[in-house]
Amino acid sequence: MVKITPSFEIEVETIDNDHRRLVDFTNQITAAIDDQQYAECARLVPDFIALSKRHFAREEALLDKFDYPGIDQHRQHHAGLDDKMETMLTLAGRVEDNRLARETLRREVFFFLMDDVINEDMDFKKFLVDARSKEK
Amino acid sequence: MQGLHMVAVHHAYGSTAVLNNISFTVPAGELVCLLGPSGCGKTTLLRIAAGMERLQAGSVIIDEEVVADATIHVPPEERRIGYMFQDYALFPHLSVLDNVTFGLFRRDRVTAKERAMEMLDQVGMARHAARFPHMLSGGQQQRVALARALAPEPRLFLLDEPFSGLDTGMRSRVRAETLAVLKRNNVATLMVTHDPQEAMFMADRIKVMGANGLILQTGAPADIYHKPVDEYVAHLFGDMNMFEARVEHGQLISSFGAIAANATAEGTIVRVLIRPEGMTLSNTDGSNTDGGGPQGGGALVDILSAHLLGNSSLVRFRVRDGINGGAEFHVRVPGSFDLTEIGPIWARVDPDHIFLYPLV
Repeated sequence: MVKITPSFEIEVETIDNDHRRLVDFTNQITAAIDDQQYAECARLVPDFIALSKRHFAREEALLDKFDYPGIDQHRQHHAGLDDKMETMLTLAGRVEDNRLARETLRREVFFFLMDDVINEDMDFKKFLVDARSKEK
Repeated sequence: MQGLHMVAVHHAYGSTAVLNNISFTVPAGELVCLLGPSGCGKTTLLRIAAGMERLQAGSVIIDEEVVADATIHVPPEERRIGYMFQDYALFPHLSVLDNVTFGLFRRDRVTAKERAMEMLDQVGMARHAARFPHMLSGGQQQRVALARALAPEPRLFLLDEPFSGLDTGMRSRVRAETLAVLKRNNVATLMVTHDPQEAMFMADRIKVMGANGLILQTGAPADIYHKPVDEYVAHLFGDMNMFEARVEHGQLISSFGAIAANATAEGTIVRVLIRPEGMTLSNTDGSNTDGGGPQGGGALVDILSAHLLGNSSLVRFRVRDGINGGAEFHVRVPGSFDLTEIGPIWARVDPDHIFLYPLV
């Protein structure tokens, strides 16, 4: 069970809300695998991916607005996740009859959430918090 | 959330920053490897997680407990962490069994002994319980160190180059056994190594660290190997073949044929890196000296040398003609390479093993 504690908050409402929803999806996908609800798992993963892409777009717009110096790098990071998202979609289609697909999907979803989304966003936390407080 | 979380960790020695805003997660049951050269900060990160180094900025969380941040520092002995270092640090005056029970001081003697024997059985050392460390081989001592570290059921396990002291043959075996025991015990494991092959074998996730205190790339071993983000990461897995070329009409021209330049801008000069195992050699009649399947195109080459390395050979060749004419490359082929092979040899490249990096 994944939980977002204050240490993981970026302290920007839109980003933290997206992160919480992604955490909910991750927990639901894991629960579906554990409960052998494979059809449910296959339904959840595309929604998880779609939310991730919308989150990336919102995030890039926000970073662009405040002229974040590392925005090109962060955009590149998001673009580099396309393969991982495709992999998760492929795995979701195989969970019913493939134990390795289930284990791999569980791992991929977790690491995607924690490393590729939340931990990666820590890079710009201070910048964004400072930029928004100056705006006020 | 079970496991280790390092959040926005920053560390400096004097005015020299060795860790720059590092964040990562090691979930229970997974092994994450920090891979990088000496001095990149990987051991410092390990020491911060262990509590042996005071956290300067950021936070360290183990199983949802904040063990270090700006105001908190839980000492190492209270973090419920297991360690395994290169030198094992077994107590020479204690038997194998007593070494393993040493850390079980919170249990009564009977349950401590039962737990110790259970762990020794897991690592295949139960029948050596009465022996002393000096009577054991390096691999056996490593197994005892593993049992001792896992006996107290730590919530985090830290390994710092644990296999470096073992000879090559023993290292592979002990590595595999260690990984099996760690997975069986479902503990979050953070490992430090400078050996890329070791990282590839052991890790669920690899974090490549550079000399600037940053994580350069994170991913599953296959991601790091097949999609290195830059030349430094690509070179981690061994010598690469290299040449420079300009992107024209979406591709690069080489003696091996046209190479797709993907999304690289027209006119960009790129460095082309090709893994030795990403090339194949074949005869003019279409059969293969290396047993692999031929790809399209190819360059006529002269073989310069071949060195048998065991189950593969490293073959050096020079391209005869074309834009790479005169350049030397090396290719890894399965088995032996027959230098007396009569007739022309063609070298081809596998697009999956070609990496393009724009020159700055």
